[in-house]
Amino acid sequence: MEYIKGALASIIDNKARSLLTMLGIIIGIASVITILAIGNGLKFTVGGELDDMQSGGVTMVINPKKTDKFLTGNEVRAIGEQIPEAYGASPSVSAYMDITGRYKTSGSIRGGNENAIYGQTESIVSGRFYNSDESESGSAVAVLTQEGAVMIFGTTDAVGKTFELQYGSQSREVMVVGLLRSTEEQIKNAYPRSGVESYNYPTVYVPYTLLTQGFGMPGENITSYQIFPHPGEQDPASLRARRVTENILGIRGEGAVSVQSYASMLATFDRILNIVTYVVAFIAAISLIVGGIGVMNIMTVSVTERTREIGIRKALGARTDSILAQFLAESAMITLIGGIIGMLAGYGLTFIVSHFMSFPPRVEIADVLMVVLISTSIGLFFGIYPALRAAKMDPIEALRYE
Amino acid sequence: MEKLVDVIDVCKIYNPGENEVRALDHVSLSINAGEFVAIIGQSGSGKSTLMNMLGCLDTPTSGTYMLHGMDVSHMTDNEQSDVRNREIGFIFQGFNLIQSLTALENVELPLVYRGVPRKERTQLAQKALQVVGLGNRMDHRPQEMSGGQQQRVAIARAIAQAPPILLADEPTGNLDSGSSREIIEIIKKLYREGRTVILITHDPGIAKQAKRIVTISDGRIKSDIINPDADV
Repeated sequence: MEYIKGALASIIDNKARSLLTMLGIIIGIASVITILAIGNGLKFTVGGELDDMQSGGVTMVINPKKTDKFLTGNEVRAIGEQIPEAYGASPSVSAYMDITGRYKTSGSIRGGNENAIYGQTESIVSGRFYNSDESESGSAVAVLTQEGAVMIFGTTDAVGKTFELQYGSQSREVMVVGLLRSTEEQIKNAYPRSGVESYNYPTVYVPYTLLTQGFGMPGENITSYQIFPHPGEQDPASLRARRVTENILGIRGEGAVSVQSYASMLATFDRILNIVTYVVAFIAAISLIVGGIGVMNIMTVSVTERTREIGIRKALGARTDSILAQFLAESAMITLIGGIIGMLAGYGLTFIVSHFMSFPPRVEIADVLMVVLISTSIGLFFGIYPALRAAKMDPIEALRYE
Repeated sequence: MEKLVDVIDVCKIYNPGENEVRALDHVSLSINAGEFVAIIGQSGSGKSTLMNMLGCLDTPTSGTYMLHGMDVSHMTDNEQSDVRNREIGFIFQGFNLIQSLTALENVELPLVYRGVPRKERTQLAQKALQVVGLGNRMDHRPQEMSGGQQQRVAIARAIAQAPPILLADEPTGNLDSGSSREIIEIIKKLYREGRTVILITHDPGIAKQAKRIVTISDGRIKSDIINPDADV
């Protein structure tokens, strides 16, 4: 305690120098925090969307560069019926829209046909899923999760209620026809709380034609769709889906139909993000090391300047380890304060950056603890050399130093 | 009388071999508790080396130094630090206060290293500052004080934790005559209160204030006399 107090006093006595010494650490930590927060936000948003889309489905893609042919909604349904290894097939169109029910929010809108229910892990708890007629007629009906219902209406009693979807300047009133089960925990956390910004968005399942016809989004000419294979039969199901599609379109052997599994996309995305994170972490580590060397430099100068003080302290009974602790505390405090300033700067920067990007920054308590730990460790590690120099001084020589 | 300092046949030799310098050459010296001893010698006489030795800042090349019954001639650095902290109050020529600390904090320093709890430490330090007449300057930093005041802070630091020995190295060397008299009076007062004082000086005028005068020259003790004229 005594050492920390002394260290703070010494830092305050040399404000300008301390701040300059901290600069390397501040910049290093600020950049680490910014990148981590942005990376987390990106991972969360994109990963969340991929998770939503995936739901056990496999996406079949007709490459528009190789053929100008496409499928109709009924053809997609028919393909599903010809794959014994799958529950069915559904077009897949999605969008991000503003939602106004009792509360205003925004969320992910997933368009499909009646088979899209097979992509859900949870079952219908009240009402029903939209049917095949509604799927093809652009009906303004929707299925929500119980969690989503709470976000939009503040209650899980939502079947029969209507809400508004807004996409650009267009809007449509949509009626809830069914609810998918959510866990108690999810429902509890979904209740709107004032002042707390939630990054959890409702997901709304609608007929794909509501998006294509109702909002004029592309997708009426289907060039990609999802199949929902039986467990463990992804590969045979997707192979058969490719063959059936090629047959229907009459483009066998052209290699125009490919399989896109979201599981593998997710893995690729994770891998790329991890590589980026590692590269950034490596650069940040270098800047932190450079910052640490700066601290070592200044501490060494400071020890030399304070030779006489060290001599006095030793004469008065300071042990080797007391002097060591004194200077280690000082370098650790310098880097800790630098780390905290850097963290605040980093979050400030993240806040600004996230304003210009479409995803929210994620601030995690683990990052804060990591900053405290890392910056203190840097101070301790790079403080060892100057502190040892101080601790090993001969008191007679030190007292004689002018 | 309790024997506090017992230096037995001590040598200190620098650069052993060709250009060796015998800073102390078979020196023996005993000082009892409650004595007021001046050690006088010209520069280069070995008095600084003797003072470092007595203050446990240095160890002898040969011989034995018993301090307060302990053999301190072969101690490790940390053991020496502890002995200095417990047994010796230093008063230096150049005051040796830490500039970034207030008077009170400077006086507290040896108590910090002794592990005295904060409250008790502050009380002891305040009392010591009052003894030297600086009760109203506790929060001043050294550069805000005159030389005489700084030396009084240093004396307060030396007596705050009541060590058995006060070791004063040219305590008036950097002071004008008025302040010098003041400092000597304080030291005499501390002696009268029962402390053991060892005063190292080159100035016969200062030395003759002490009850016993030890003269050192060329690393040897030339004379060791009781001073009948001491006015304490």
